Amino acid sequence: MNIQITDTCITLGEGVESFLLFEKPALPNYQNVTARPYISIYLGDGATIWSRLQVCTELLADFCHEDPYYACYTLLFRRLYPLLLSSSQAKNVVSYGLPADCGAHKVLQDFMHFLHEGNALTALPQSTYAYTTLKENSFHAFLYCLDAFPSLFAVCDAISKVRPGGLVLLYTIKETLPAELNGLCAHAEKDCFAHCMVYTLTVDGALSEFACANGSEPVILSRAEEVLKRVGDLKNLVQAMLTGSALPGDAYFIAVVILQQTEEILLSVYDYLENDELPVRANILKESVLNYYVGISRQCDLTSYREKLTESSETFFAAIAQEFD
Amino acid sequence: MSNYKMCMIPAYPLENVQLLKDRVIFPYVCYRTFGESLRLVTKRTEDYPYLSYLEGVDLIPLPEDQPHMEAAVRYMSEHAEEIDLLFLFGARGEYMKLARTYKSLRPDGIIYLKLDTNIDWANAYPLHDSQFSIFLKDCDIISCEARRLQSFLYKKWQRPVEYIPNGVYYPLYPEAGGVCFEEKENMILTVGRLGTAQKNTLLLLYAYALAFLQLKEPWDLVMVGSVTPEFQSEYEEFCRRFPPLAPHIRLTGNITDKRTLHQYYKKAKIFAMPSRGEGGSPNVFSEAAIFGCTVIATNVDAAPDMTDNGRVGRISLDTEDFDSFAKELAALCLNPDYLARNFHEMRSYMKEFFDYEHLAVRLQMLVQLQSLKRSHS
Repeated sequence: MNIQITDTCITLGEGVESFLLFEKPALPNYQNVTARPYISIYLGDGATIWSRLQVCTELLADFCHEDPYYACYTLLFRRLYPLLLSSSQAKNVVSYGLPADCGAHKVLQDFMHFLHEGNALTALPQSTYAYTTLKENSFHAFLYCLDAFPSLFAVCDAISKVRPGGLVLLYTIKETLPAELNGLCAHAEKDCFAHCMVYTLTVDGALSEFACANGSEPVILSRAEEVLKRVGDLKNLVQAMLTGSALPGDAYFIAVVILQQTEEILLSVYDYLENDELPVRANILKESVLNYYVGISRQCDLTSYREKLTESSETFFAAIAQEFD
Repeated sequence: MSNYKMCMIPAYPLENVQLLKDRVIFPYVCYRTFGESLRLVTKRTEDYPYLSYLEGVDLIPLPEDQPHMEAAVRYMSEHAEEIDLLFLFGARGEYMKLARTYKSLRPDGIIYLKLDTNIDWANAYPLHDSQFSIFLKDCDIISCEARRLQSFLYKKWQRPVEYIPNGVYYPLYPEAGGVCFEEKENMILTVGRLGTAQKNTLLLLYAYALAFLQLKEPWDLVMVGSVTPEFQSEYEEFCRRFPPLAPHIRLTGNITDKRTLHQYYKKAKIFAMPSRGEGGSPNVFSEAAIFGCTVIATNVDAAPDMTDNGRVGRISLDTEDFDSFAKELAALCLNPDYLARNFHEMRSYMKEFFDYEHLAVRLQMLVQLQSLKRSHS
C-alpha cells in the first residue's frame, strides 16, 4: 500500500486499485477557504492547510505503512477533514481503540492543532466504562475501532456522546461485522479500501433516538429488571425451603439454575454495579442451596445448612435491594 | 448423563504421595459418586503403592521417552472420545494445549479446573496472554479453595469461580470416628516443613513461650515434620535461653506413618498453623480438625473458612505478630470448656462442609448444570 501526493490530490493505492483521499479545491487562495477568521500556527509559519495536509499524510505513511489499520487511518482522516474545516470553533474528537502512542494518533493530533490550537483529540482507555466520564452530545466526532469492542450497545453509547451534525466513524479490518451491528452499519456511508472499512454515521434525531434505545442504559435497566424478576422467584423458593413447605422435586435445581443465570447477568453489568460483591454473593447463595439440597439427599442434620442458607440469602437479598431499589 | 467417564491429568508427573492428596482424591471421590470410570494419566516417576487405596482407578502410564505434557496432549488427541469429564489441577500454562485439544475434539465434554492457588499466584496469572484467556474459557467449571480468593477472582476475572475447599475423604481416616475429647492431652500440635519461610514456625515457638507464662497448667508443644538446619539451631538456642520450657517442646522429625501421625492428632487439643501463606486449607488442617483439634491460625487466605469465621477456631491477624498469636493461644489454653465444646463443633463443621463425598455431589450438580446450559445454547 502506498500514498501518492501531488500538488492537487492525495491518493491511496495498492496494485491497480486506488482511492482518492483528498483533492485540493480549485480556489486561488485555498488558505482562506474556511470560514474561520484565525488559525494562529497556520499564519505563523506560513504553511497552507494543503501543504500541512500533504506533510501529515506523508508522515502517516511513514509511521503506519506496516500497520494493518493503515488504510483505515487514511479513510478516517479523509472523513474528518471536512468536519475539522467546517467552522472556526474548536473541535472535540474522541477515539476508542486507537492507541494514543500510535502514529495515526500523533499525526491527526498534529493536524488538528495546526488548524486550531483548541482542537482536542482524546484517546479513551480500552474500556467502555470510560464512556461514563463523557458528557452526552459533547463531541464533534467519535472514532471507534469495532475490532476493540464489537458491540451494538457500546457503539450506541458512543453515538450518544456526539453532538447533532457530528460524525461517528466506525472502522474495522475484519471481513464480517457482528450480526447485531449490521442494521446500524447498513445506514452508514461506507468507505472501503483493501481489507479496511470505515462506516460514517452523521448524528441526527433518528440516529440519536436509535442510540438511546439501544445503548447501555436500556440494556442495564432491562438486565436489572431480569435480576429483580429472578430474585423475586428466588425469594419465594428459598422461603419455602427454609420453612419446610412442600416443594417439587426439581425445586432446588430450578433455584440453582435461576441463581446461575442471576450471577451471569450480574457479571454482564459488573462495571456498572455499585456493589461489586453482588455476583459472588449470588454464587455463595447458590452454594448454600446446593449444600442444603445435598444435605437433604444424604439425610444429614440440616441445621447448619439451614443457617448458612438463611445467612447467605438475607445478605444477597439485602444487597440486591440496596443496589436496585 | 449420570455416569461420567473421568480423567485426571496432572501438569507434572504424579508422585505416589499425591495419590492421597486433593489433586487425586477429589476426582476419585467424584468417580465413586457419579463416575463410570476414572483414569489417571501420568508419566511414571516411581511405584504407586497408594494406588491400592483407590479401588477401580486406571493408571495410564505415559511413554517415558517424551516430555510429560507433550505425551499427555498426544494421549488426549487419541482418547478424547472416551473422556466426559476432565479434571485439571492448577491454572498452569502447561495445560493450555491440553485443554484446547480436548475441547476441539469434545466440545460437549466438561473441564473442571481446581485452581490450587493462593492470592499471590492468583495475582500473577498472565491474563494479558490471549492463550491463557482461551484456556480459562475452555474450563467449564473453575473452583478455588478459599472464600477470600473466590471473592478476589470474581473481581479479577469476572466469571464464576466456585468455592470448593480442600476436604476430607473420611474412609481414609477410620480412627477419626472413635476419637473422644477425654483422651486428649494439653498438647499444642503443628505439622509441616518446620522452619521454612512459608510455615513461619518461629512465630509459634516464641508465641508459645509468651503464652506459657500465663498458663495455669503446663501445655506441651509438639512439632511434627522435617526441620531446616536454621530452625534446628533456633530451637536449640531457644531451649538454652528458656530452660524451663525445653522439656515441654518436642520436635519429632518427619513422620511418614499415618497411624503414628494420627495418634498425635488424637491427643492434641490445639492445632497451630502459624503459616505466612497457604494455597487453600492445607491437608494437615483437615486432618487435625476431624480429630477434633481446635485450630489457631494466622490470617492465611483460608483462615476464615477453616475456623468458620472464628467460630470453631481462632485467627491471629498479623503473621508476624508474636504477641497477638500468643494472646489467642493462651486464651484457648485457658478455656477448657470451649475446647471441649469445640471438639464436637469442629468435627460437625468438617463433616458438613469439608466432606469430599458431600462436595462431590455438589460438583455433580454443577456438572449437570453445565451440561444443561450447553444443551440450551
